[in-house]
Amino acid sequence: MASITDWVVEGLKYPFNDLKKLLNFGVLFALISALSTYIGIKSFEIFIDIMHIAIMANVTVSHITLSQLPVDDIKFVVGLTIVSFIISLLVMGYQYDTIKLSIDRKKDLPGSYDIIAMFAKGIKYFIVTLAYNIIPTLVLVVGMALAGESLILPIIFISMLLFIIAYFLLIMALNNMVAYDSIKKAFDFREIIDNISNLGWARYVGIILFTIIVVMIIAVAAGILLSFISVLFAASINNQAVVISMVIAIIEGLFINSYISLFFNRVCGSIYRESIK
Amino acid sequence: MILDIYKDSLEYSAKDWKTLVILGVISLFSFLLLPAFLITGYNYRVINTAVHGIINGRDPLPGFDDPVDMFVDGVKVVIVQILYLLVPVIIFLVFAIIAAQFDSASSTLMIIGCLITFIVGVAACLMSEMGICHMAYNDGEFSKAFALKEIKEVIDEIGWFECILTYIGLIIIILVISVVITALIGILFIIFGISGALLGADPSGVFVLGGFINSAISMFIVGPYLSIFAARSMGLLYTMQI
Repeated sequence: MASITDWVVEGLKYPFNDLKKLLNFGVLFALISALSTYIGIKSFEIFIDIMHIAIMANVTVSHITLSQLPVDDIKFVVGLTIVSFIISLLVMGYQYDTIKLSIDRKKDLPGSYDIIAMFAKGIKYFIVTLAYNIIPTLVLVVGMALAGESLILPIIFISMLLFIIAYFLLIMALNNMVAYDSIKKAFDFREIIDNISNLGWARYVGIILFTIIVVMIIAVAAGILLSFISVLFAASINNQAVVISMVIAIIEGLFINSYISLFFNRVCGSIYRESIK
Repeated sequence: MILDIYKDSLEYSAKDWKTLVILGVISLFSFLLLPAFLITGYNYRVINTAVHGIINGRDPLPGFDDPVDMFVDGVKVVIVQILYLLVPVIIFLVFAIIAAQFDSASSTLMIIGCLITFIVGVAACLMSEMGICHMAYNDGEFSKAFALKEIKEVIDEIGWFECILTYIGLIIIILVISVVITALIGILFIIFGISGALLGADPSGVFVLGGFINSAISMFIVGPYLSIFAARSMGLLYTMQI
């Protein structure tokens, strides 16, 4: 191919190959964003309840006894969080399949109905993502706990740097894992680094940054469009902020998040395909 | 040579008024952000046609097919321009920070800083335009937009003086055309309004209509025309290497 940005063009067109599967994928995202909107509203209500109890009993928040807390509501929110985590595992399984199809140069979208296999793939994806973020998180948390006031800024800076490095390695690691379908390959650092240097570090970092910029532009444009829609809704329906934010969250999940996720993972797969040439 | 470039570009951009109107409609929706990149993408296509064509040739205006490709090209162009323009901005900031440290010589330092920023800014604008042309010439390879050595060689072959002259001439032509057309329409409607007022009618409606038509024409006809003109000129300038 003439230019590395051609993969981005290909990736942007890819979700349009099968709109039905795009929407199927979008349903998962819509569920997640609707749930997280609801969780946000609910936990705010719990927060207000707790504040109310604290004021009524005239104690600080940490002195409230367990029996005074709105336990049922808290259980409900925790349950919802677990449900949305399980759905996001499914989403990760989808992303796994997207990378696989991209590496195999297939044009169809992922959409198998074998949910168990999807979960297995999602768990693999999640474990690798988690593993790559452990070191920077440890640096951040331990550093914040141990260092004094003066060292906080450098520690945040160092951990941010580590997060970025880990992110760039993570993309190639996920690709490598998907290509061989084995979780061990995600930690085969020699092969990962070989692949990246095969492509050229500047090209590798450049194409990922470019993709992220495109993603941000699409997200901002979608945000502008959605804010217009929500203004329209708000003008026609009174006193229904919750409903409006729900509808907006569902639209966003259904069309935009699923599109961006498919696009990004498609490009990641293409990067791997070019790097092993 | 410079006049040839302008003549060819002026004729080229007037080839098809439908294209101008389509571009105008796109720019009307550019508050949605994505269409703004489509416009830069279209200008990139014009440059692409120009660098692969010849002056006074029969190049057609590029079409609007494959909007995704156009969008990605637009993003590339914007990134190249921003990265080049960062250089003068950083120089200016460095000078401003240094000048803030000195009390006595701060104003002289600031003037020197502004001068250097201006010179670097002109060079950066020229380099970014040439970089985009160079990228288009090499089939859109992104790294070619920053191959400073090759771009410098290209500008050396065309001649720095000619390049800067063409660039400044371009700015002057664009300013003159837009000012003259706006002024002409404005004068026309002022005459309408005054003659209407002399006949005893309320002229405010005429003035509002005049302003409306003025902005419509500059958005749908003049703006797109000038943007194609500028892109074509820079693309042709790139082909002027000996």
